[in-house]
Amino acid sequence: MEKATFVELSEQKISNQNGKMKRGVAVIDFILRLIAIVATLASAIAMGTTDETLPFFTQFVRFRAKYDDLPALRLFVVASAIASGYLILSLPFSILHIIRSSAGMTRVILIILDTVMLASLTAGSSAAASIVYLAHKGNTKANWFAFCQQYNSFCERISGSMIGSFIAIPLFIILIILSALVLSRR
Amino acid sequence: MSTTIDVPESSNTKGKTILLGNPARPGGWKKGIAIMDFILRLGAVAAALGAAATMGMSDQTLPFFTQFFQFEASYDSFTTFQFFVISMALVAGYLVLSLPFSIVAIIRPHATGPRLFLIILDTVFLTLATSSGASAAAIVYLAHNGNQDTNWLAICNQFGDFCAQTSGAVVSSFVTVVILVVLIVMSALALGRH
Repeated sequence: MEKATFVELSEQKISNQNGKMKRGVAVIDFILRLIAIVATLASAIAMGTTDETLPFFTQFVRFRAKYDDLPALRLFVVASAIASGYLILSLPFSILHIIRSSAGMTRVILIILDTVMLASLTAGSSAAASIVYLAHKGNTKANWFAFCQQYNSFCERISGSMIGSFIAIPLFIILIILSALVLSRR
Repeated sequence: MSTTIDVPESSNTKGKTILLGNPARPGGWKKGIAIMDFILRLGAVAAALGAAATMGMSDQTLPFFTQFFQFEASYDSFTTFQFFVISMALVAGYLVLSLPFSIVAIIRPHATGPRLFLIILDTVFLTLATSSGASAAAIVYLAHNGNQDTNWLAICNQFGDFCAQTSGAVVSSFVTVVILVVLIVMSALALGRH
């Protein structure tokens, strides 16, 4: 009889430790989601509000640069906005995981949606990054001119807005890894 | 009068064996998922290798030339395409090296170790594959359509073959991305349902 109670107590202790670890992971998950929301929103807003007009103009053409002019930058704004919207909507699920550590199916759904969002956010920000790189360096073989030399403030804006998404992408990866770790410890 | 409960001594105590570790339970749907995982991984290896090879061998020299230079386009001319070749080769290498872990997951469907390892590394290499594919796609889109506001000409009008090869490589890398997403989803489902 004593052996049975000893085994029961040690099982209880392991499940208590498991519960504490899951709660800790859920809290970290929530905090990382908050940081990722701020990062993606800042990226989308910084890119979306770009507008620079050069002070000189000819008779026919006015030199103006907006994010709209480049399709890759448009894709970036849309992808960042969708990612931040998804993160805001997933906050209740994160809070649910803090309160009730034993929710299984919601964690699986969260991993699946996190993966899809990671892929779309990475795609949008990489496409924008390659266009920003072209804007800085140009390409002599294709005769593509580096327009950063003329549109200075536009260039700085679009380069700076990449930072937010490059913070959010590793956060997404960590979120997926954390959820997978918790799922494997049941 | 006290009630007593007679617990008969079991005569066969010596023959009992205590099962330690995982008993061999039937695999069921988890084994099916592991087999699908292996097959999809093989497909992803083919797609990633195809993408890297197609981009790496893309080269076109136009039949006319001026006195000073010859019109040539290769993946070398674009930094993005160089990044694409290297990272798709890395993704293909990882997928090949992850095949043994997939086989272990087939043999032991209820072990969480290999699946957890695969899901973590799959996520990292999904990011790498997506970023290289998307950045190359942006350049290919520019090459097809050009951009009037920045005065970038669409080079596809002149370098048709080069354009077709790079577009095919980008499509192949997106197939790899989709397969990787499906692999992660399957691993998550297998981990999450006991």
